[in-house]
Amino acid sequence: MNQQGMNLHTLPLRLAFFALISVGFAEEPAAKASSPGSNSSEEERETVHDTDFYKMMRVVMHQRCVNCHPSDHIPKQSEDAHPHHFGIKRGQTGQPNHGAKATQCSTCHQSENNDFSGVPGAPEWSLAPHSMRWEGLTAQEIAASFLDPKRNGGRDHDAVMHHMTEHPLVLWAWNPGINAAGIPREKPPVEKAEYIKAVKTWFEAGAIIPPAAK
Amino acid sequence: MKLSFTLNDRPTEVQVDTGDEPLLWILRDTLSLKGTKFGCGKAACGACTLLVDGEAVRSCSYAVKFAEGKSITTIEGLGSEENPHPVQQAWIEEIVPQCGYCQPGFMMATAALLDKIPNPTDDDIDQNIINICRCGTYYRMRKAIHRAAELSRTNPAGK
Amino acid sequence: MSDNDQPKAAPTSAPTTSRRKFIVRGAIGSIGVLALGTYVFRNPIRRKILGMVETTVPPYMGSGTEPNLWFEITKDNGVILHSPKVEMGQGTFTGFAQMVADELDVSIAQIQVVAAATDTGIVDNTGTGGSLSVASLWVPLRELAATMREMLKIEAANKLGVALGDLSTKDGIISGGGSSLSYADIALTKSAAGVTAWTIPKTPKLRALGDYKHIGSPTPRIDLVPKVFGHPIFGMDAEMPGMLYAVVIRPEHVGASFKSADTRKADSMPGVVKVLQMDDWVGVIAETHTQALRAQREITVDWEIPKIWTETGIRELLQVGNGTEMVTQKEGDALDPEDKNTVSLAFSSPIGAHAQIEPNGAVASVKDGKATIILSTQVIGITQKLVAKALGFKTEKVNIIPTFLGGGFGRRLNTNHAIQAAQMSEAVGKPVKYFFTRKEEFQHDLFRPPTHHIMRGRLSEDKRLDSIEHHYASGDVAINSVMLPAVANKILGTDFGAMRGGNIQYDRIPNHRSVQWHTTLPFATSWWRSLGLLANTFAIESFVDEMAIKAGKDPVTFRLEQIGHDDIGQRLKAVIQKAADEAGYTDEAGSTNIVGKENQTDRAMGLAASVDAGAPCAHVVEVTIKNGAIRVEKVTCVFDCGIAVNPDQVRAQCEGCIVMGISASLHEKMTLIDGQLFPTIYGPYDMALMRHTPKEIDIHLIQGADKPLPVGEPPLGPIAAAIGNAVRRITGQRLTDLPMRVS
Repeated sequence: MNQQGMNLHTLPLRLAFFALISVGFAEEPAAKASSPGSNSSEEERETVHDTDFYKMMRVVMHQRCVNCHPSDHIPKQSEDAHPHHFGIKRGQTGQPNHGAKATQCSTCHQSENNDFSGVPGAPEWSLAPHSMRWEGLTAQEIAASFLDPKRNGGRDHDAVMHHMTEHPLVLWAWNPGINAAGIPREKPPVEKAEYIKAVKTWFEAGAIIPPAAK
Repeated sequence: MKLSFTLNDRPTEVQVDTGDEPLLWILRDTLSLKGTKFGCGKAACGACTLLVDGEAVRSCSYAVKFAEGKSITTIEGLGSEENPHPVQQAWIEEIVPQCGYCQPGFMMATAALLDKIPNPTDDDIDQNIINICRCGTYYRMRKAIHRAAELSRTNPAGK
Repeated sequence: MSDNDQPKAAPTSAPTTSRRKFIVRGAIGSIGVLALGTYVFRNPIRRKILGMVETTVPPYMGSGTEPNLWFEITKDNGVILHSPKVEMGQGTFTGFAQMVADELDVSIAQIQVVAAATDTGIVDNTGTGGSLSVASLWVPLRELAATMREMLKIEAANKLGVALGDLSTKDGIISGGGSSLSYADIALTKSAAGVTAWTIPKTPKLRALGDYKHIGSPTPRIDLVPKVFGHPIFGMDAEMPGMLYAVVIRPEHVGASFKSADTRKADSMPGVVKVLQMDDWVGVIAETHTQALRAQREITVDWEIPKIWTETGIRELLQVGNGTEMVTQKEGDALDPEDKNTVSLAFSSPIGAHAQIEPNGAVASVKDGKATIILSTQVIGITQKLVAKALGFKTEKVNIIPTFLGGGFGRRLNTNHAIQAAQMSEAVGKPVKYFFTRKEEFQHDLFRPPTHHIMRGRLSEDKRLDSIEHHYASGDVAINSVMLPAVANKILGTDFGAMRGGNIQYDRIPNHRSVQWHTTLPFATSWWRSLGLLANTFAIESFVDEMAIKAGKDPVTFRLEQIGHDDIGQRLKAVIQKAADEAGYTDEAGSTNIVGKENQTDRAMGLAASVDAGAPCAHVVEVTIKNGAIRVEKVTCVFDCGIAVNPDQVRAQCEGCIVMGISASLHEKMTLIDGQLFPTIYGPYDMALMRHTPKEIDIHLIQGADKPLPVGEPPLGPIAAAIGNAVRRITGQRLTDLPMRVS
């Protein structure tokens, strides 16, 4: 693994982590590193996915985050990721990521969740641009995508780090509200503070993307 | 809390509880404007569609506190018998409504559509007009929307 | 239900024969029009009567026979018709205005139609439904209008000193002998008794159809202005001063019953006036709707849930061979299902929700021993009686004020929630507005019952159908409805609602039969637009089409040669032939019409036809399959509606039926998940939208009878089968379950 730019202070800790990970990989050759948080065993999650990178990716790759980063032009809904009802899709003109010209996301979605209707809301509710598609990609591919200024809206690492830890639409994940049936939506598998810390630490450490487990 | 907004071109003030109440109920129950309808309360049917600063919004899912300082237009303000909006004029010409309950929502959504796309194709209509009509008047609505576009070209809406 | 409540007759001269003419026709007794369907199939007389159910329009049976209970003349010379039938989009009010205008000699603009409140107008003890409003009032309403006209003329003759024969009427003005008087001049006299003291003449002869100006013409709907300008005309829009808002907690699980509730937190929430625990429900009454909703969330109810029902469990109950069997049609011999020449195919349709956009609800005020209820309902008289009974009041102490309906479709043939609204008002001593949440609508609907069908048939050597059988299982439609008294359940051997369209209409097939299996399901099922017609026609017409393919025959000829020569047969043939001609219907692969993968096209036509309530209808649909989705591009519809009182509105009903039919055929499905009816919101309950609407709907009306026939439901019949028949030609696959999907 590339250990450049690592803080010597945390070296022993990191070595320990890497050791654990290696053990984990050795024991589970078929570990699905590309989709942390889904289909993996508890054990796997603890050994393989406790790094900053995987903590961050467990959130980023939660189905409901991916729902607004579709690989096509259709937002998805719910944990079962069905296509958004009523034929909603990315607009072709005007502000494309905000939906059809006269029936935009903001026709239904406001800057806050609505508990009466069960419609989720956050500031700037919209699809991520198509260049920021995540659906069907591995953790490594997604990370590469959001680090790439050509795809991430021209952001440098610092800007990406701030976006991922401060933007209200991102942080909405921990306040996802209740759905139309009154049932609270599932939150990401990592606590918000822990996620923010993992992201910051990962970026401070050079935003290293570990290779996929084999 | 007290809120102020423009409603159908009139400055309006209301007293509300927490401000999280959907705009729909403030209009219907506090202000007795019944034209905007309750169909589902879940932003799924579109019967509650109105305009906020000219944009289509489903008022059952729009907290009234967000209306502060905005300009709200409901069906009552879209046009009148003496001075109908082209959409309303077209709706009458094509004899669109059956039960009529969903129609205000459709007309508001259509007004927003024609504002953004003055000459919509059938595809534009399909993408933007996604409210539900159980009586199945979509066929006539499509004709009325094209007619309304035509009327708007020759006789633009005063609003 | 027997009606002992007659409206107080106004003082008049001795009863004349004409008055008796207004009185209930058809001495079937007080059960009402639906009694026609109570005769079961056990003997020839009953069989004949049952046959009539399909073809005879039952007479109007309301209470109240005075013309003045129907018409009110206003100061500005307008006429208000107090209609016992409600307007739910089907155009009754406009049709009535046309009928009144043409006999009463007023202009359409002078007429206002309102739904009659029970305090002031005719109480309809059956309901608005069955597509019968115009059909059943065709003669009585015109006679009433003509009689009113003559009454006005008689009075004018007296006033003006002009001979009756010298008077003429036009636009509400009576002229003759150089003078004229308006109807208002005559009606709004100083005499206290007014119109009620007048002579009621013999019922005048009605005018010839050709002499009518309004009947038969595409008069614009008279309710366009309120509907286009957002007037508060629906039940949901009703208000009473000092009104409170209520929500009711109902079980989520099918078959659940109420044990107890913990309402302590809700009791003290902002705006809550009362939390009411009744025998099997909890009502939350608050100052605003949102306060009631917030309080509702804080209430926990302990439900008794004896069983967790599943889709599988329901399907096990609802099977041909389960439940009560009734043979509703029988000609010739039964088929041997094991015979190698017998073809069998099973079909099914799912639970269907009404999903009308205006939720059910009522505004009720119970005060000083009187109840006033404003609501959208299709059963005014029945609701009045049920509320009176629940409150322990005399019937006339309950005033039902019906409004325009935001969709009926049969849902509002049961508006028992008026009882809860009244009980809540009584409990708090103020008017209460109670309406359903959308979840309540989806879980407490009276659904279109799911159905299961087994079609069987056999071809003869000359490639016709020698035998055909329709075996079908359904939940309640008519049975257990509030519209029928309990005793009718015993008399009824067949659910005649589920039976609609269930009989074989090809009576030249030597052996044909129809067998119904009835089961009452654990959730409420009842009337949904056209009742059993859509599902039954889907099964029968898909099967006939399949047999045409097996016979190697063009499906038009195949059908025509098996239809009988009687009146209804001729008319059925006419709609089929015309639909085929207008649509340019051909089978894509020619007369042998078997389309397998080799001949696959992406576009094909499908034809189907049905007869409902004596009104034949045929559809030819043109279907494409794009990205795995079935799309209906065009529909050619030929409908024999008899006299079209308003051809534009008949077309509108055809268009609406076609869209609703497409929605039911391709999109809609209720199911059960963990014992709960699901889904509970539009979106997950998939329905046809603008984008699913055909680009072209070509409608042809035929007048095959000399009276108006039912219009609101018959055009729904053929749509599902027509689509299935088209898909069969594109994919080679026979789809047998609604909603249809291609794999």
